[in-house]
Amino acid sequence: MSMKIAVLVSAGKHPVSGQPRHCRNDSLALQIGLNLTQSLAADLTVLHAGEPSNAALQDYLALGASQINVVPATGDTVENLAAQLQNTELILTGTRAENGEDSGLLPYLLAAKLNLPIVADALEITQSENQLEILQFLPKGQRRRVMVSLPAVVAVHPSAVVALNFIYARQNLGSISTLPASNTTTKPSQWRLEKTRKPIKLVASAALTGHERLMAAISSKAKGGAVVNEGNNVEKAQVILHYLREHQLIDF
Amino acid sequence: MTRINPKREQQISPSGLKRVVLSAVNKPTGADSAKPLRTPAKPKTRVLVIVHSVKNALDDHALQTIAAAAILADTETAVVTLVLGELNENLSDAGADEIMVLPALDFRVFQPQVELAAILNVIETLKPTRIFMPDNAIGDGDLGRRLIAKTQLTAATHVVEIDAKHIASKQVGGSVLAQSALPTIILLAPNVVDSELPFTSSATHINSPKIRLETGKYQDLGLQSSAAADIALEEADFIVSAGNGVQNLATLTTLANALNASIGASRVVVDDGKLPRDKQIGATGKSVTASTYLAVGISGAVQHLQGIKDCRHVIAINKDASAPIVKRADLSIIGDAEEVMQALIGEITQAKVDA
Repeated sequence: MSMKIAVLVSAGKHPVSGQPRHCRNDSLALQIGLNLTQSLAADLTVLHAGEPSNAALQDYLALGASQINVVPATGDTVENLAAQLQNTELILTGTRAENGEDSGLLPYLLAAKLNLPIVADALEITQSENQLEILQFLPKGQRRRVMVSLPAVVAVHPSAVVALNFIYARQNLGSISTLPASNTTTKPSQWRLEKTRKPIKLVASAALTGHERLMAAISSKAKGGAVVNEGNNVEKAQVILHYLREHQLIDF
Repeated sequence: MTRINPKREQQISPSGLKRVVLSAVNKPTGADSAKPLRTPAKPKTRVLVIVHSVKNALDDHALQTIAAAAILADTETAVVTLVLGELNENLSDAGADEIMVLPALDFRVFQPQVELAAILNVIETLKPTRIFMPDNAIGDGDLGRRLIAKTQLTAATHVVEIDAKHIASKQVGGSVLAQSALPTIILLAPNVVDSELPFTSSATHINSPKIRLETGKYQDLGLQSSAAADIALEEADFIVSAGNGVQNLATLTTLANALNASIGASRVVVDDGKLPRDKQIGATGKSVTASTYLAVGISGAVQHLQGIKDCRHVIAINKDASAPIVKRADLSIIGDAEEVMQALIGEITQAKVDA
């Protein structure tokens, strides 16, 4: 029996115009899924929770999904998706959506629901035996190779390097079908939505005396660090090296 | 109405005039430098902060998270900080009342099941009323989400605004600021809190729980760090940057290679065609977040300083001691760029031979 791969795609939104479009991060997951499907001769399912009429889904058809199964957005999305993903070996998602709550929690909740391991921030995925080898993103140019046993959930990082192919003919050939929702009870949201504004930074209030506040207002804090004017070039170079060593910025 | 005592403390200024100093009313001079201690003697409740350490210290984001917990804690709440990874730093100014360290759980090793079991164990024993974590890419964001999924407690991620009553996070692609009451688990975005605190805390180390190392379904195959030259400037950790004061770019390249650093440039150098456009740092170029920024022959125009505002350690080599970069830099070397670079290359080569 061939391996089953599922890609979860979300409806994106243009940040300025608000027009529906594909979510780039999810498209990367879709492309990685397509590449894996080709190399492993696997079955690929593309799932979306939301409206089947959403124009964003057309983009995913053009990007290579031959059929998109849509689970209605009523009720608990995680449960509805989990019901469709019971026997899937590999579930691919993006890291963060562009629409809705954008919490980046869905892959984790889904993995917990299905009791599967999850690896986030994946850049490359290769399969070996019954395991996946994943190149994981870490900041400051570091990468990490991890191995995870199948079945698993993998969230793809937005900077994964795969080429997206937008082909208009595929958009016309592809189809979108609706699946029944297993859970339709909607939980009340904890969120109160308001128009965006600049967030207010939390600052500890200090009980200062009048004199201290006056001094803070009229004097500026001393800026700048140590200035080395004296000595020859070798001594100056040693000062730099000492500074780098003191702060553990170099390891020699 | 409060009356002012006409005989309150006065000082005689150098010119012989009587001056009333308001701060002298309740405080003797000299003692005001000591901050008060916040740590409650007998805490009734606890809040937990979970952070990973980087290079045996906590980064700004982690310190901001501890500060948030300390600012929001009332007089009977202790802030317990659980540090995953080694810690060689005193956290009394950061606001941590009690500290637990688990050195085996370094962020570079991928062992989410061990980390999750360890923090669930800590939560079980401490029963914290609230859990704070930084929402970052070095493992805290990942671990926090695993914790949320596992415990199913109320939670918020990417929190960009927090105070005693509410939290807010950007949703629907950043077009909406969603607000809610304080949940149990809070994953804080960077720069949401000012980490400067007007109080200190005791920062006592308490016994950390035992952990069981097991591989389970995950296996770590190790880090792979790429050569500094291949890393995009935005991601680079060490940048050597060339300005108009650099005559010989070859020396700078040698220096960057010796330090395993990426090369950046100011606008003038890029405009002259000496380096490609993607190396430009500043308002019209890239904004960098390197932990070390070595600015060679850069005077530090406002536009350039804008691009390096998130750099932790800035070292400047410049001929002019009154250049603006000197005010920004943590260490400024006044001298000829070429000569200092040559000397530095020599010292580094020597240090590498000795090591």
